[in-house]
Amino acid sequence: MDIVDLGTLPKTEAVYSAFLLQVREKFEMDHAAYAGINPAAGAIHGYVTYADDWKQHYQQQGFHMIDPTLHMSRRSIAPVDWSRLERNKEFKRVFCDAHDFGLCDQGLTIPVRGPYGDVGLLSVTRDCSSEEWRKLVSHVISDLQSMAVHIHDTVMSSDQLGQILYHPALSARELEILQWVAAGKSQQDIGDILLISHRTVEVHLRSSREKLCALTTAQAVGRAIGRGLIYPG
Amino acid sequence: MIIVIDALNKHLFRGILDEMFRLRARVFGDRLGWDVRIQDGKEIDDFDHLDPAYVVGLDEEGNVVAAVRALQTTGPHMLADVFSDILCGEPPIRSATIWESTRFCVDTQRLNRGRDRNSVSYATCELMIGSLEYARTAGIKDIVTVIDPVMDRVLKRSDNAPYGYVGKTVPMGKVPALAALLDTGTERVDRVRRFAGIEHDVFLTDEEALKLFNDTHAPGKPMETLGKGPLNALETYLLEQIQSADSPQELKMVHELIDAIPSGMSASRKAELKQYPRTFAREA
Repeated sequence: MDIVDLGTLPKTEAVYSAFLLQVREKFEMDHAAYAGINPAAGAIHGYVTYADDWKQHYQQQGFHMIDPTLHMSRRSIAPVDWSRLERNKEFKRVFCDAHDFGLCDQGLTIPVRGPYGDVGLLSVTRDCSSEEWRKLVSHVISDLQSMAVHIHDTVMSSDQLGQILYHPALSARELEILQWVAAGKSQQDIGDILLISHRTVEVHLRSSREKLCALTTAQAVGRAIGRGLIYPG
Repeated sequence: MIIVIDALNKHLFRGILDEMFRLRARVFGDRLGWDVRIQDGKEIDDFDHLDPAYVVGLDEEGNVVAAVRALQTTGPHMLADVFSDILCGEPPIRSATIWESTRFCVDTQRLNRGRDRNSVSYATCELMIGSLEYARTAGIKDIVTVIDPVMDRVLKRSDNAPYGYVGKTVPMGKVPALAALLDTGTERVDRVRRFAGIEHDVFLTDEEALKLFNDTHAPGKPMETLGKGPLNALETYLLEQIQSADSPQELKMVHELIDAIPSGMSASRKAELKQYPRTFAREA
């Protein structure tokens, strides 16, 4: 099953929730949650796949103020496995209650740092043996990183201020390579034409895709043409 | 051996981080002549206040012999800002699965030119293995790293050649700087491991790293005598100030304090205190 491409859809809460449900399915998790903090717009966004009773309880208790999976993880550059978090008062308070709602404390949080002091946190959890968890994480962590940035960028650019700030800034090299893709050249061809390795071509394409909030290169080419950044074909 | 220090565990490793900032002052300030800010003998910039991750290499005696700093390319990082010359003013690469590494340095004073465990070559390879494996575990596929041509040659010689470069080589202080691309694939790490003969897990746990560092760097027992006489409380305090001075300026201030003590301390005793040796490492 393919992940919903957030770039093409109207930005509504239902779309983000559907995205998280698909992340949960695709990566074999029990739950997925996103929290985004945008100091420029003074807004906090939260979308989760948790049941409504836990959502309500979490809010009523003000857990978002103390939840260490948010407050500690946002200061890391790498995904934080919750096993790394100190089992302090705050952790116990949140996870004692979580346990009563049938939720486990095996999970990880991927921190995303945006360019304007904005921070996004994509968390996933799964109740399974720690061996199974380790294997699953090493298998999906790269894709989860991409999903975290994809939802974060989309949420941050959903308001008017964000649309201006999050204007995709592609380098001349990235545009040159996208133009060659639009002309039908393969990564290997482009590497040969520009005298760079095909992995360097791939890195520029990856960067272009993410700047254009696209999940595939074809979408990135379409959007670059739509924005007048490159010529069609 | 390698320890990864970030915002979550840095409170445990102030001593190691201070040693790393001093190493950076010697390498980037003195040896490479970059325009870096050095205070109290430590090189610390704005990006150090953004909770980066440090991959730090310790030798068998717990000394910091190599270090590098990692930041996400999705947020503030050096290529987007202070190193924009390298990219000729172009926007930098931005990706969830690419990190930027900067301030890659190795202690060329403490380490030798051979291939043994105390060599520049070994420390560089171990640090590369540590940073590539740390990044890969985090789901990172590539690293864009700002280095000087000497480090570029070291990478090539240790079977760890960059697969590409972005932007151009620009002058920076006494040597130029450039941005190289490295993937975090197992093949690359295996090549470096084979080159350096490193088969073991390079990572220390927090506890192991603390023990290794503290065993050799714990503050020694306070001195009880100096020259002829035992130390009183004031003299002990002054000696502690001398020992903890981080720069010649700070040392000078302690000496001035000693001179300013009005009575109760003889001139010869003052001289004795001021002769207490304190040297500051400076690289040629």
